[in-house]
Amino acid sequence: MKKNNKEKDIAITVKNLHITYRGLKKTSIRAIWTKMGSRIEKFHALKGISFEVEKGKILGIIGKNGSGKSTMLRAIAGIFSPDKGTIDLHGNTISLLSIGVGFNKKLTGKENIYLSGMLLGFSEEEIKAKEKEIIDFADIGEFMDKPVKTYSSGMYSKLAFAITAILETDIMLIDEVLSVGDAQFKEKSYNKMKELISDENRTVLIVSHSLDTVRELCDEVLWINDGEFMELGPVDKVIPKYQEFMETLNTTKNS
Amino acid sequence: MKKFFYNIKKYFKYAIYSAKAELKSEVADSYLNWLWWIIEPLCFMIIYTFVFGVVFENHEKYFASFVFVGLSAWEFFNRMVTGSVNLIIHNRDLVTKVYLPKYILLLSKSFTYLFKLGISLIICIILMIFQHVPFTWMMILAIPIFVVLYILSFGIGMILMHFGVTLNDLANLTNIGLRMVFYLSGIFYNIQTRLKKHPKLVTILLKVNPIAFCMNELRKVLLYQTLPNFLLLGLWLVIGILLCMVGIHVIHKNENSYAKVI
Repeated sequence: MKKNNKEKDIAITVKNLHITYRGLKKTSIRAIWTKMGSRIEKFHALKGISFEVEKGKILGIIGKNGSGKSTMLRAIAGIFSPDKGTIDLHGNTISLLSIGVGFNKKLTGKENIYLSGMLLGFSEEEIKAKEKEIIDFADIGEFMDKPVKTYSSGMYSKLAFAITAILETDIMLIDEVLSVGDAQFKEKSYNKMKELISDENRTVLIVSHSLDTVRELCDEVLWINDGEFMELGPVDKVIPKYQEFMETLNTTKNS
Repeated sequence: MKKFFYNIKKYFKYAIYSAKAELKSEVADSYLNWLWWIIEPLCFMIIYTFVFGVVFENHEKYFASFVFVGLSAWEFFNRMVTGSVNLIIHNRDLVTKVYLPKYILLLSKSFTYLFKLGISLIICIILMIFQHVPFTWMMILAIPIFVVLYILSFGIGMILMHFGVTLNDLANLTNIGLRMVFYLSGIFYNIQTRLKKHPKLVTILLKVNPIAFCMNELRKVLLYQTLPNFLLLGLWLVIGILLCMVGIHVIHKNENSYAKVI
């Protein structure tokens, strides 16, 4: 493929993204009866965020609790629809890295590889091709053929991590960097994660509270606060500002 | 609509795989395993045949088969409806973590129910052989009737699935509704002969209640060598397709908000 030097290869374009939690609200039939016509509460989680991510870049997303980071990731993953604005993935495949999606605890590890993989949008053949790699990586031995409910929690996360890590997509969304299993596997999974993230063709979005992780892994940082865009830029420019902001926030709170 | 067929094609294999997985896990740790799929409907058939055939003296021809045909069709419908109401909430993990067209969940569930229906039908055929029901080519007509039943259940299921997300107590309501339909559908009595004195009621029950209608037509072709009412069957097919279209539309419009609610 020929690349135009002038134009950057954009993987994700988010324009004026608004997300509100409302509309569909849990009610009961009685509540409809008694509360007919009353206003529904709205919560504005994201208030008009726009940004672009180049292909191959690693973007860290920071912000205090409840500022809409996870909401945004889920919107980009297609789990939510935006209330306003658009998200364009330019035809890239995407997955939100999460542990053990669609696992059926009564089935064996092997069967769950297929179940989870197919759910993530891979075909049976694609999974078959990667099956061995997943089994090797998970490294849980004979438990692979035993029902998942007999697993220890460490084994469970090992298998789950192996599935998501080996079945890769063009864009990966990571909500808090996962470190699972025992010390040895933790290192292995962290290294694998780094390897996945630093692949040149892969675009990665990481939500994290650990600024060290962000510093170590990311190229750029997006800072959002209370659903509003604050800044997007290189790591060493944005993080100090964010730290300063958080400190002033703390001192005003304490005084 | 195009999106619907595209999604069905894309996720069809997943739906089948997940249905298989569910069936497997259902029997994974019970002593009699898959035998339950046979024992359960058989026992129900025996109970109903005894209570309504012996205690209430029902002299319907081939009564055991009569009950069994009705029961099989009813169980399928009943499972579809009860299964769909809380389907999204039961799959919270899935719904909040990946994008999946929500009717795929129902499709997958329906496969497990179809499988059980299939087992019921096999038992039914054995029963019919025992009772010397004559086998004719007309029995093939059961297939389109089942198709109509499936489409109807799928449409109703999708709509209930949508409202089940926001209405907490919809399950209670559907339970009452289902119980009513259960007794009004003539699973263990023949609506036409039992209610001879109220011909108007018969027409209403048989024509307005699609389940009773499907059951009645199934019995006609399977047990009594009578042709089904094609006109009404076609009409219910159209209604079923319309229900499906409404369901698909509602789900497409709302499915991305489900994750915010549950």
